[in-house]
Amino acid sequence: MSNFLQFTVFGIMLGAGYAIAATGLVVTYTTSGVFNFAQGAVGMIAAFGYWELVSAHHQPTLVALLIVLILGASIAGAFVERVLMRRLHGASAERPVMVTLGLMVILTGMATVIWSPTVQRSVNPQINGQFRLVGINIQNQYVLIIGVAIAVAIGLRVLFYGSRTGFALRAVVDDPELLAMSGVSPNRMSQYGWILGFFMAALSGVLLAPTQTTGISIESFTLLVVSGYAAAIVGRLKNIPVTFLAAIAIGLAENYILNYIEPHLSSQLQTDVTSALPMVFLFIALVTLPSVRLRAVGRLTSMRAPRVASGRESLIASGVFMVIAVVVGLVFANDEVKGTTLLTLGGMVMCLAIVGLSLVLLTGYSGQVSLCQFSFMGIGAFVMGKVAGGGSVLGLLAAVAVCAALGALVALPTIRLSDLYLALATFAFADAVANGFFADGRIYGSGGLQIGRIVVPGLSFGGDTAEFLLVTVFFVLAALMVLAIRRSLFGRRLVAVNDSPAAYATVGLDIGFTKVAVFAIAAGMAGLAGALYGTVQGIVGTTDFDIFPGIIFVLFVTIWSIRTVSGAFLAALTYVVLNQLWPSSIGIFAGIGIILIGRAANGILGIEAVHVRLPWVRGGPPSAAPAAAYADAPVGGEVSRAAS
Amino acid sequence: MPPADGTEPQSGGTAVLTVEGVAVRFGGVAALSDANLIVREGTVTGLIGPNGAGKTTLFNVISGLQTPDRGSVHLYDADITRMKPHRRARLGLARTFQRLELFGTLSAGENVQVGLESSVKWWQWRHVKRAFPWVKKGVDSKDGVPIGEPTGPGSVAVATSDRILEGVGLGGMAADQASAMPTGLARMVELARALAMAPKVLLLDEPGSGLDDAESQTLGELLTTLARGGMGVLLVEHDMELVMRICDYIYVLDFGDVIAAGTPEEIRKDPMVQAAYLGAVTEEEAARADGSSGSDGSSAYAVDPTTRHLPEDPPDGTTEAAQA
Repeated sequence: MSNFLQFTVFGIMLGAGYAIAATGLVVTYTTSGVFNFAQGAVGMIAAFGYWELVSAHHQPTLVALLIVLILGASIAGAFVERVLMRRLHGASAERPVMVTLGLMVILTGMATVIWSPTVQRSVNPQINGQFRLVGINIQNQYVLIIGVAIAVAIGLRVLFYGSRTGFALRAVVDDPELLAMSGVSPNRMSQYGWILGFFMAALSGVLLAPTQTTGISIESFTLLVVSGYAAAIVGRLKNIPVTFLAAIAIGLAENYILNYIEPHLSSQLQTDVTSALPMVFLFIALVTLPSVRLRAVGRLTSMRAPRVASGRESLIASGVFMVIAVVVGLVFANDEVKGTTLLTLGGMVMCLAIVGLSLVLLTGYSGQVSLCQFSFMGIGAFVMGKVAGGGSVLGLLAAVAVCAALGALVALPTIRLSDLYLALATFAFADAVANGFFADGRIYGSGGLQIGRIVVPGLSFGGDTAEFLLVTVFFVLAALMVLAIRRSLFGRRLVAVNDSPAAYATVGLDIGFTKVAVFAIAAGMAGLAGALYGTVQGIVGTTDFDIFPGIIFVLFVTIWSIRTVSGAFLAALTYVVLNQLWPSSIGIFAGIGIILIGRAANGILGIEAVHVRLPWVRGGPPSAAPAAAYADAPVGGEVSRAAS
Repeated sequence: MPPADGTEPQSGGTAVLTVEGVAVRFGGVAALSDANLIVREGTVTGLIGPNGAGKTTLFNVISGLQTPDRGSVHLYDADITRMKPHRRARLGLARTFQRLELFGTLSAGENVQVGLESSVKWWQWRHVKRAFPWVKKGVDSKDGVPIGEPTGPGSVAVATSDRILEGVGLGGMAADQASAMPTGLARMVELARALAMAPKVLLLDEPGSGLDDAESQTLGELLTTLARGGMGVLLVEHDMELVMRICDYIYVLDFGDVIAAGTPEEIRKDPMVQAAYLGAVTEEEAARADGSSGSDGSSAYAVDPTTRHLPEDPPDGTTEAAQA
């Protein structure tokens, strides 16, 4: 009985920590319409900053709290709103998600540079000591966390429903123009929301840091808040009391499972279950959410879509690309960079470019954000290595099929909901797969999973040049397929479902089916890329398909252009080069890049100045008549164009 | 087919759309209290009312974007009240929106093609293979659906969408990006997209908004032609001249209730309609207006000024009409 009480108290404490972080997410979302994926990273930076002040520089606890929470988090929240988020008004729907992800990888990258991950750091409780109650020991720190969480929940409820500022905070997302007409600045309200959100992220970070028995770590602390995501979703990203209760329930469930079920499992499974729990909670939350009503919002995208190459142009470009690849394969056959052959790196570029193409299809065309394409890559590599001894065409096909099926399963629970929930589900899936599946020593084996070169009767791909050209052929075929899809009626539907879901449904098209189909195709492509990646590398390990590299790659594709084939290729090239030269700073490059690109919907390739007119491209853009051709004002706004 | 409550038009073809007793509440606000209407084949039916009367909400209920708290919607004999929007559309229900819902990054022609190809199952190989550059484009020999690249010269899909666009006055504008078009033209793209679905009933939410007089005239002629071709058209419009000119029958909504129904001539004289549009009238004024419109002292359009509800018993012949 005393064990049960002890677990219960710890579970409530854990849930209270989640509650503070989750309510911060809700506050930011309610006041800005943006889901802050950097919430966990802000908490992580706050925890490390607090450790730095208290443990390294011996500052008093109160001083450290004031510096971290008031000077640090609050000013950072105001800065992020003013500099990063405010200029995203009117940007495509996926852009705020990308910018908060960029912020997340910048913060984790900076933390890695400042605080070496190899050093263990323990944080002392803000209140030391413990007391005994009904036969169990209760840490004062637990009481502090629970008390702060309750105070935050009550305080926010009073603020939102009992004050004029609270009404304005709630109104700012619904109708900022109307709010402005009543004399309240919508920007200021959004800024308050970001300040509150950052404050609560930091608060949860500094309070939970002392409870980490093995010390604070950059990655685990950044992802600690994933359980808070589930709570925020149960509260439908707007209901603070429900979010609070859901967070407590999740904390309790997590602690009961860890203490009552896990001890009966093998030690390896224990790690898997622990890692998978946040995703399980998130998926349960997603399934239980009521469907979002389809609305006619009258949102008319102002973006000029990049020109889509015709079939003839695609074939010519493919031929030219292959000729260049053959030349590269022959000229650089024996060159190396930092111990890796250039052609191996080139093969990795091609594989990642296929992943980039899957993002063009999924995010660029249909507007859905996936943060788990690297997870499908890893699963594809695993299937490739396990089917028919590795290195067989059968393995490639199996990798595609398994990943496509898994992709459909991931997308299914979210099709009733808005696209944000898909991004969340993929984030949780990536986290669970990386830490619960790939990290399991039995999956790839202690020395990694060996994957042989593809064997086709009569053909040998044993040499680096042949392997490089093989994966290049796969990339070219994938590029031709993506462009063919865009030119097809399915491609028109992908763009249409992104532009106006309400109109899409009322012309007789099934939104859910289209979204699941494109997600499955994209997952299958990522699986293919993973299988090929395995054959290029020869071996894949536990950290090859981690969540952060996956997110960083998505950012690079967005930076170059997530709507074009060339954007996918250049992103892959950039990723491989930077990862080879400055692996520890690659996240900072990606984060800064996505911030600089801002609301430019078509990325760097959408900027007119970088356009290159290819000799085989006929005529001008498909939309021959620019907005200026009309005397009347167009219904959309800015235009931009990029060569595909 | 449920009986209507006496507000149905007296002439026209078979009832293609029947709305009965529909109520929708948003929190404490009743957007629709008891909406009833019938749209018949071969007619243009008007739905008018002041801003906030519930017209768009009723359109959303009919097209499936809003689930009613009570009441029913029938397309011919099929009860579509709980049906998903895309399934209703496949049965022949098309609509446009008050606030434009275009596929903005697609061209006008591609917008129409999405409607044109809405019944095509893209995953079937005979459609998939057409995406490849070396496969000839044209009409599918099995189901006759035209498919092809939007930029492909000679593509039948392009030719068909061009013809539809020409029909709504957008000839030669197929390549223009939809979001770059002025509002009036963009509304015509929406209309063309809806027409591409070859609907049985067409719901138009303020299609005349943003059109000049000449364009409005053309729109009226187009809608009349469509109706004469057998389509049922339900028109929400603030341009009263257009409504009175082309509608065969008109329903007037106010505060979520149908307060009047009749021919344009009847509606024009209705005191409650005037009150709804011009402001409140006293009971004496309403009575005077009533007295002037019928020899028996009752209104020809039979509106009870005290309840603002239509009476239980329709003027004549409604039972037969409802059963038709």
